[in-house]
Amino acid sequence: MSARIRLTIGALCLTGVASLLAQGPPGPPGPPRSPRESAPADFTGYWVSVIAEDWRWRMVTPLKGDSSSIPVTPESRKVLEAWDPAKDEAAGLQCKGYGAAGLMRLPGRVHITWQDDTTLKLETDTGTQTRLLHFGGTPPATEKPSWQGYSVANWERPPATPGAPPTLPIFATRIGTRGRALEVTTTHLRPAYLRKNGVPYGDKVSLTEYFDYHKEPNGDEWFTVTTIVRDPQYLIGPFITSSDFKKEPDASKWRPTPCAAR
Amino acid sequence: MPRNGAPLRARLARSVAAGVQTCLALTAVLAYAEPASAQVDFSGQWAPVYHEDNPERIPGPELADYTGLPINDAARLQADSWDADRISVVSSYQCRPHSSDYGMRGLGNLRVWAELDDKQQLVAFHTYMPAWGSERTIWMDGRAHPADYAEHTFQGFSTGVWEGNMLTITTTHLKTNYYRRNGVPSSDRRTVVEHWTRHAEFLTVVTVVTDPVFLTEPLVRSQNWFNDVGQALPAFTCEYAPEVPGAQEVPNHLPGTNPYLTEFADWYGLELAATRGGAETMYPEYQLKMGAPHAKPPDRCKRYCTCGGGFNCDVNPPRPPAR
Repeated sequence: MSARIRLTIGALCLTGVASLLAQGPPGPPGPPRSPRESAPADFTGYWVSVIAEDWRWRMVTPLKGDSSSIPVTPESRKVLEAWDPAKDEAAGLQCKGYGAAGLMRLPGRVHITWQDDTTLKLETDTGTQTRLLHFGGTPPATEKPSWQGYSVANWERPPATPGAPPTLPIFATRIGTRGRALEVTTTHLRPAYLRKNGVPYGDKVSLTEYFDYHKEPNGDEWFTVTTIVRDPQYLIGPFITSSDFKKEPDASKWRPTPCAAR
Repeated sequence: MPRNGAPLRARLARSVAAGVQTCLALTAVLAYAEPASAQVDFSGQWAPVYHEDNPERIPGPELADYTGLPINDAARLQADSWDADRISVVSSYQCRPHSSDYGMRGLGNLRVWAELDDKQQLVAFHTYMPAWGSERTIWMDGRAHPADYAEHTFQGFSTGVWEGNMLTITTTHLKTNYYRRNGVPSSDRRTVVEHWTRHAEFLTVVTVVTDPVFLTEPLVRSQNWFNDVGQALPAFTCEYAPEVPGAQEVPNHLPGTNPYLTEFADWYGLELAATRGGAETMYPEYQLKMGAPHAKPPDRCKRYCTCGGGFNCDVNPPRPPAR
């Protein structure tokens, strides 16, 4: 009987410790905190994209046929050659260059606010677009494709090997328990452009983004968003970029503009 | 049915005590194993992702392309004097390594490994990039940077601290080098801050360069790698060889004499002033001020149009068939 008791207490102990380690540092007692309350970093405010990378593909509409840096398929090249901004304008598709998979690479400002305790709202002045980042849940079954799609957000969990079985943390422990990144997965996107010169993405595209906050020695606050676009139709592999945004003190430079096809 | 309550209670108490003891011992082991602060292990083989500025990073930048760089007139003057023959003629340029900050942007295959002490605590990360066999140490043990007058090297002196899951590295004591391989200089007074984050199989490194000599504001860029467990990196060798025997001068263009400064603007249909760089040109509102292209823009891309994920970067790609 005593052996059974020791075994039971030992097992309970292991379970308890494992559970504690899996959860990371203990939070304050009380009801679960909302995503807004548990935010490990503050992404709200006005931010400007500073164009120190890909300048000639971002600050001006690139020349027709230019797909440099993007791992496109031969099919994509054919579509690219057929790009005609006048046709897009005539069809009311001026916003094809402003879909979620290309939006964060465009020069402009973003304004991030909490719409409610579980939804971050990200607006851009360029193209006057709005993205809603929903914490928890999945896209509704009735969700229709749109330029900005449906985004599911979470505060990034500690690193772990995907699909790994649970292990007993006897001689090792989980590290990386204080992540500060915002992870966003976006689907239900309407076919649009990765670049304004018509580099296409299709309706099977998915988008994963990681937002990381960093503060510099001179006091400047930044976030960098790493963007991973997967499109089995027009990309031979994931298309990965990272874009840097500097915080601005106020809305004085916020200048909403409509979409432009050229 | 227990016949004697007192011995049973005693046995129960002993068992509970033993269980608690086991638990305490286990907790002690775990406490010893746990690192001093939360970390991410960046060790491993990382393959570079060239999905930004591919033509600049793989075949190399166009002459007089200073776009996206917050440079001042001094940097511009030095870059305008650049003549790429310098690499062939001046032996000290032949095997000149990339500095650690350029290496992280120029990008290359990367191996990272951790150095641990006898208590399994992290002392340093080491990095190796094959280009010029560049190896760097990032000290994680809290040591201070050396005095200003200490030796400057191409890799500099780096220390790191954790900010949650982000590794923030500060590098000083760098030698002069370049922000772009077309002669845009970086000074030996610059400081480089890096932020490393690992998301799933991807590594993102933000580099923030402050240079009181050549930049008017920090240069902030970010680069990406993916974890490639099958990657094996070679050693690097570079031999100095006189390619132009008897050459006595450093190839250069004196101020106002470089005939190639407008090529880049003309090939890509850009305003000339924008190609000269500067902080103002890096903000969205510059789009409103931007003037006309220096020459009539080509009707389509004719140069480096299809640089993909690797080295398939033709200078003059096949034209589309005539209709």
